[in-house]
Amino acid sequence: MPRVSVGPSSVEAPPGQSVLESLLRAGVWMPSSCNQGTCGTCKVRVLSGAVDHRTSPLETLPQEQRDAGLALACQSHPAGDVEVAPAGPASAGAGEVRTHPLRDLVARITGLEDVATDTRRVLLSLDEPLAFSAGQYVELEVPRTGERRQFSLANTATEDRVLELHVRRVPGGAATDRWLFADAACGDEVRLTGPLGDFRAPEEEADDGAPLVLLGGGTGLAPLLGIVRTALERHPDREAVLYHGVRYASDLYDTERLVDLEQRFASFRFVPVLSREETRAYRTGYVTDAFLADVASARGWTGWLCGSPALVESGAAAFKRRRMAPRLIHREKFTAAVPAAPGSPSETLTSPLTRTGA
Amino acid sequence: MTTTQQPAELAWLDDITMTELERNPYPVYERLRREAPLAFVPVLGAYVASTAEICREVATSASFEAIIPPAGGRTFGHPAIIGVNGDVHADLRSMVEPALQPMEVDRYVDELVRPIARQYLEKFEDAGRAELVADFCEPVSVRSLGDLLGLESVDSETLRRWFAQLNRSFTNAAVDENGDFANPEGFLEGDQAKAEIRAVVDPLIDHWIEHPGDSAISHWLHDGMPEGQTRDREYVYPTIYVYLLGAMQEPGHGAASTIAGLFTRPAQLEEVVDDPTLIPRAVSEGMRWTSPIWSATARISKEPVHLAGLDLPAGTVILQSYGSANHDTGLYDAPSEYDLHRPPLPHLAFGAGNHACAGIYYANHVMRIALEELFEAIPNLERDTEHDVDFWGWGFRGPTSLHVTWEV
Ligand code: HEM
Ligand code: FES
Repeated sequence: MPRVSVGPSSVEAPPGQSVLESLLRAGVWMPSSCNQGTCGTCKVRVLSGAVDHRTSPLETLPQEQRDAGLALACQSHPAGDVEVAPAGPASAGAGEVRTHPLRDLVARITGLEDVATDTRRVLLSLDEPLAFSAGQYVELEVPRTGERRQFSLANTATEDRVLELHVRRVPGGAATDRWLFADAACGDEVRLTGPLGDFRAPEEEADDGAPLVLLGGGTGLAPLLGIVRTALERHPDREAVLYHGVRYASDLYDTERLVDLEQRFASFRFVPVLSREETRAYRTGYVTDAFLADVASARGWTGWLCGSPALVESGAAAFKRRRMAPRLIHREKFTAAVPAAPGSPSETLTSPLTRTGA
Repeated sequence: MTTTQQPAELAWLDDITMTELERNPYPVYERLRREAPLAFVPVLGAYVASTAEICREVATSASFEAIIPPAGGRTFGHPAIIGVNGDVHADLRSMVEPALQPMEVDRYVDELVRPIARQYLEKFEDAGRAELVADFCEPVSVRSLGDLLGLESVDSETLRRWFAQLNRSFTNAAVDENGDFANPEGFLEGDQAKAEIRAVVDPLIDHWIEHPGDSAISHWLHDGMPEGQTRDREYVYPTIYVYLLGAMQEPGHGAASTIAGLFTRPAQLEEVVDDPTLIPRAVSEGMRWTSPIWSATARISKEPVHLAGLDLPAGTVILQSYGSANHDTGLYDAPSEYDLHRPPLPHLAFGAGNHACAGIYYANHVMRIALEELFEAIPNLERDTEHDVDFWGWGFRGPTSLHVTWEV
């Protein structure tokens, strides 16, 4: 069996697994984010041996970069033994830090609840616990389609037997309209792979209790719920503000849960914001403006952004305006899913990766 | 000095003035690259190599060796590391290199530079406005190298003033039709700086001769010398002046030019602020875009050579215009634009051949750390549009000021 080596680690690469997958499955950390060839975080330099680039998109890995020996770890497959070194940003410690191993699991649907307009909470029970960090995501196999979709976990790391996903319906979406909002039922089996992603709560030792602010749009709330609860459990007195942006009041969900959290943690504030509706109960506008109005300085704070690219971009700009150090800004963009194979119908192209839907 | 007979179509070269080169050398050099990539420029009293190919050829050819340009020689004296060859050059390189080896730099550079960058940022980070050349880039550059050399007792303002005076003296290059210096009084401020430097450094050298220390200059005196002997100070001083000019000034120039370049591409500035691992690439493009040592070193032919279509006798001096070579359209598309994402081709901002910059690794880390700390402390940095960004210099080039604002 070919081997993939990075830094001090060397792992087996079973057939059918990308370079990234074989490393993650063995618990070896590599910078990676989207796992679908679009973000470039997993770019590696091939030091020896060769890889097959497979589905690597040219936009992320242009020909000159291939010629210069670069590859996308998440798309390329080893052609024999191969040694790689991370070439992208944030590569410190790659191949050294042990991470939660990537695993294939079979789960059972144990909850399907409508919580807001076109929004469902899906609970998946596991036979054995899954090790992950709050904020990470899993990939579900969509029955009958051979497609996979990514959904963020709303859990904290200790809630490791029942996974909680928030799913927004996408009209015509293979995973939502035609499955989780259609014939999916409690008791059904679901195949999944996880955990994945670099949007995750820091290790406990690295968490110094600094204040944090979280901006989530729609079902982008899910990973923030895991992250903020983890943060507050570790440092109950820390300052934390969570802004949840939706269009209408009927899109809000989990407000009671968050108000309850506010009552348990005196320095935590939950701020729902509606962009298309004026009410007495809630603030109107965009979450980024609400943050700018409320917080005079975010120096030393950590920031967490999850939602549409527009929300993530404007959120990062707002954080920086309030002097948050860019390395403390964490982003999870709901980007477009790429087709399973070049030339697949465009319907799959437009389905948002959401980590929470499609 | 013999001025070469120019072909008629190059008569325009006679009209070039130092003032226009110092204000903006690019138009003249663009025309040189196009019409006469190796040409005798009367006001400079020497040939000028303006393309990447010819600069590289001259820097690496066995038919050439180093010579300090005349105004530089007048300023630094002999033997300055940039103007000597053979054993003396080998000895001076062996003297300066230990502190600049990558492994050695890795050992000290973060602890040296980061606190200095923080210290200057603390003075203005809550003020909402600053002039980055004088408040940050230059002070970080001179304080870091000053402490490395053993000049902790010399304040940063003085180090900045010294490099500026030495710079103007070194680049006081204009010659008249007889090949004599056109402005001899332009060397006086360099002489005055050197007198001040000697008054401060002589006692330090006296001390280090008796009590060898960790400072770079103390090592220069002792390293590789037989027990009980030190290098003569008159032998070391010209290279101390090389440091107190170029090595002090250029990381500041380089950092400021990089920021000025990023200001022309706000989206790229944003990218770099968001992902500090892009800073080395941003700096590299900054050095290509506005090369700090624009045209300050030279080579001389040791024998008759045929180069760029010209027959040159032995003893022909060629000024290396690295700042022009880095705008060579044969290599770079739209070279006058700053572009973080252009293909990362090697540039000539650090020169080439056996006289290439000895401080590349160190300088790159100083600039990297300075920008990391700046963007960490002020991620919402913006150019203050009430002030223009002016660049100055032909021998050495960088922004004269860089006014910025941010929300506090
Ligand atoms: C961004 C900053 C800097 C730039 C752009 C730069 C660029 C250059 C260039 C173009 C040369 C002449 C090369 C040639 O003639 O081919 C040079 C020479 C030199 N530089 Fe730098 N330099 C920088 C910073 C430094 C620093 C910080 C040091 C020392 C700590 C240093 C030490 C030297 C020395 C010793 C030489 C003479 C090398 C020789 O003639 O053998 N430089 N530099
Ligand atoms: S491109 Fe491979 S993880 Fe994003």
